[in-house]
Amino acid sequence: MSTRRPLALRVNRAEHELFAAPGDTLLTALRDALGFTGAKRGCNQGACGACTVLVDDEPVRACLTLAHECAGREIVTIEGAAGAAQALQAAFEEAGAVQCGFCTPGMILTAAAMLERTPRPSADEVRAGLSGNLCRCSGYRKIVDAVLRAAETGAP
Amino acid sequence: MSALAHLHRPATIEEAVRLLAAGDGERVRLLAGGATLVAMMNAELVDPAELVSLAAIAELRGIRALADGGLRIGAMTRHRETAAEARLAGAAAVLREAAARIANPVVRNMGTIGGSIAFADPAADYPPALVAADAAVEIAGRRGRRQVPAREFFVDWFATALAPGEMVTAVLLAPPAPGRGSYDKLCRVSGDFAIASVALSVAWRDGACERVGLAVGGCGPRPLHLDEADALLRSGRLGEAAARRAGELLAAAADPLEDVRASAAYRRRVIPRMVERAVAQARAQLEANR
Repeated sequence: MSTRRPLALRVNRAEHELFAAPGDTLLTALRDALGFTGAKRGCNQGACGACTVLVDDEPVRACLTLAHECAGREIVTIEGAAGAAQALQAAFEEAGAVQCGFCTPGMILTAAAMLERTPRPSADEVRAGLSGNLCRCSGYRKIVDAVLRAAETGAP
Repeated sequence: MSALAHLHRPATIEEAVRLLAAGDGERVRLLAGGATLVAMMNAELVDPAELVSLAAIAELRGIRALADGGLRIGAMTRHRETAAEARLAGAAAVLREAAARIANPVVRNMGTIGGSIAFADPAADYPPALVAADAAVEIAGRRGRRQVPAREFFVDWFATALAPGEMVTAVLLAPPAPGRGSYDKLCRVSGDFAIASVALSVAWRDGACERVGLAVGGCGPRPLHLDEADALLRSGRLGEAAARRAGELLAAAADPLEDVRASAAYRRRVIPRMVERAVAQARAQLEANR
């Protein structure tokens, strides 16, 4: 059966040692073994985007990624927000883009990766970029406003 | 609790095939991007004892040109890479457009072309695009490699020409020809699976159609494709009458499901409209190029 095995993960620029079963997802490892509860378990099917984290600067669904596949890679959760993600946190606050907050970490990390690639997105590009992140409070408008605001203030 | 006891990470295709062959098709499964398999494990729809991760096999990654000018898309190439591949131009752009319509940016960053076509969901975006482009699928097994035309690869609902113990290693495309490739999907919300989709690949030279491939997704157990419709469009030079007739033929041949997305009757009704629109766009571009 599924025996837990030692695993070293680099999360938020620090080394962490834990035990994980071969089938444990990155989300389980982050939340249940390491206490990074900023990544949310919403649908556990990859559909809602609440578990989105960055792996080697690219957004992935932590619920669809196996923990043991992430050895040696650079993982960033909302607890380690820096750069664009930090600017986005401030912009979300200023724009009132947070209601219940459950989708917010995934929204911010997805948007941060998008701004890396597209520093000055249009509103439509922001909507397309966040199309895999669901907000069930349906506060999308202010979320789009916040990303545009962060792009304006964060650009060189 | 998952029964998963081993997560293998072979470095070569031969080693992956050896590990896969040790199972019986249910006990050992290949893990590509995880976008489908891990979701199914989370939902307890599958419970493999061993997974063979393909992440460490360099040969499966990336898109490269072949000696004849064709393209080889490694099975582990992410949808994001395929959607951004400039060499998928002209008639081959159908594949790039299909990749860009899969799910959402984060899933496109995870999902792979090999994983997607091996799963063979007929409402997914790659199957009709591969059939329209007349691509081939490269397969590895214990007895070596073989190639299967995409038109023979998809055989039924979630069923492919893969034999037990075989894996997809690449998608192969003929040298990109001048022309137009397009992929249109009708869906309820951005990124959903198709109610119906239309993939069209037209290669032309000196203002004449050399090759036409048309396939419909989401409307039956496998991508819907009729040689007769392709021939009509080619001989009819993408004309309105040919487009209408091709759409009617495909709608009549469709075997759509009734599901949460749409009724079978609705799907049959939208097929001709979508075909006519795709052909009209190709016709306009062909005429502009004259």
